[in-house]
Amino acid sequence: MGTARPVRAMDPYAEQFWAFTRERELRLQQCSACGKFRWPPGPTCDRCLSDDFAWSALSGVATVLSWTTFRRGYFPEYPPPHTVVALELAEGPLFISYPIGLEPHELREGMTLQVQWADASDRFGEYNLPVFGPPAARC
Amino acid sequence: MAVSFDRARLGRLKDSVAVVGVGETDYAKDYRGTGGQAVGKGEARYDSYTLASRALKRALDDAGLKKDDIDGLCASGTLSGERASELWGLNPRWSGGGDAAQCIIEATLAIDAGLCTTVALVYGNAQRSMDTAYGGARVTGGTITSYFYYAPWGMTSQGALYALFFQRHKLLYGTTEEQLGAVAVAFRRHACLNDNAVMQKPLTIQDYLGAPYIAEPLRLYDYCLINDGGVAIIVRRADMARDLKHRPIMVSGFGWSEENVDATQLRPRLKTFYHGAHHEVAAQVYPMAGVTPRDVDVFATYDSFSVHLLASLEGFGFCKEGEAGPFVQGGRIEIGGDLPCNTSGGMLSESYMQSWNHQPELVRQLRGGLGQRQVEGAEVAQYVHDVAGKCKSLIYTKGA
Repeated sequence: MGTARPVRAMDPYAEQFWAFTRERELRLQQCSACGKFRWPPGPTCDRCLSDDFAWSALSGVATVLSWTTFRRGYFPEYPPPHTVVALELAEGPLFISYPIGLEPHELREGMTLQVQWADASDRFGEYNLPVFGPPAARC
Repeated sequence: MAVSFDRARLGRLKDSVAVVGVGETDYAKDYRGTGGQAVGKGEARYDSYTLASRALKRALDDAGLKKDDIDGLCASGTLSGERASELWGLNPRWSGGGDAAQCIIEATLAIDAGLCTTVALVYGNAQRSMDTAYGGARVTGGTITSYFYYAPWGMTSQGALYALFFQRHKLLYGTTEEQLGAVAVAFRRHACLNDNAVMQKPLTIQDYLGAPYIAEPLRLYDYCLINDGGVAIIVRRADMARDLKHRPIMVSGFGWSEENVDATQLRPRLKTFYHGAHHEVAAQVYPMAGVTPRDVDVFATYDSFSVHLLASLEGFGFCKEGEAGPFVQGGRIEIGGDLPCNTSGGMLSESYMQSWNHQPELVRQLRGGLGQRQVEGAEVAQYVHDVAGKCKSLIYTKGA
């Protein structure tokens, strides 16, 4: 059983995104007409309205934009303190995750992090959660 | 995006509608329980309609109108339009809803189109007694996806989203927590001059900095209240607005722009602090009203979090981008300063009426006679609404 996480927002497109994580693959929809990556998953390209897309594999590289540390608990699965980070993926989209392998006070604006995987489960089933840490700490 | 609004057509609506009546419930008494009436968290003994009904009655009395004078209705907050109309015995010729600024803009359009002449805009929310959640496991849906989409990573609550915003502002501009604290301190000072404000205890910058973080770098006093209340506003076609109880307060300008592209990703929130929408709205509201930011005597912004004020001051040109931190210090945003902001205490210290309590306060400031809380010589009042980039603004002026 993977670690219990607060429930995912699920729809047919999100379902596919999360299915790839079971193989530890970080893939986002990329528009086949104009090439734009989109997140969260959905039926059309917001730039050109094409509904043709491919699930393209990402580099997993991202830079840090901002972060916040919860000092008050909101989810039993994440007792405080819990730090969340806002990232800019190398392919363009921004992405929310949490840092791993470094302390919150070590976070810096613009620092490069690399995707890692944390086991996870909720009422939709087992999956892996993409989290981000220093490239050197990658296992 | 193409500039597609029509300045000439908008300009014709300037001063076409006036606010003639405002009504609010007794926020402070209801919260503190004067006379044994306090209702605690999760102990609902009344509902949103109770509060909205009280506010409506007060707004009609304030205007000197009867309910049968109303021919349009915006029921807002948690109210259903059908139930509200039924409850108050109304068969409106036009109805709408949404936040306060949206309702005032839409009512102005409906009145201009000839659908109706006198619209009641009514809000009620028993959020404290009903124990409404704005973060955590009970928030699993809604119209703003970013509020629940990142729950698997432990990300939740509007406060944490604004914490990311403020952290980014700190990183880019060196804005300090002490600077941000000046917002909560100023609004509390205003609340202490307002008998109807829930929070009446003075707050110092030391109190602010000594309070715990909730979502760091935001502290307790950066967060709005959760309390019960109702607000009603009566707007009327300008030529029918004279000879009522109070001088009419004119709706002189408005603007509307939403920054929704990549909103769930938080791109407009973290990359530009929603200034794209602010600039669009500023280009509409100021020319329509025929004023500039320098002419604004009293200002109010949506303030579910103190951070909102920094964003709107920069976005609407009261200061340069990145300079709101120093701008809000030294009393500038307090009554008696250059730009008094949220003079009722706002949602941080008066009442969390989700944009509704700001409108009666601006109307009262322009009517005058508020004693110590009065902004001397107030002629032009501006409200800025910005909830996750869904931005609107209103400019009110004194009618003849």
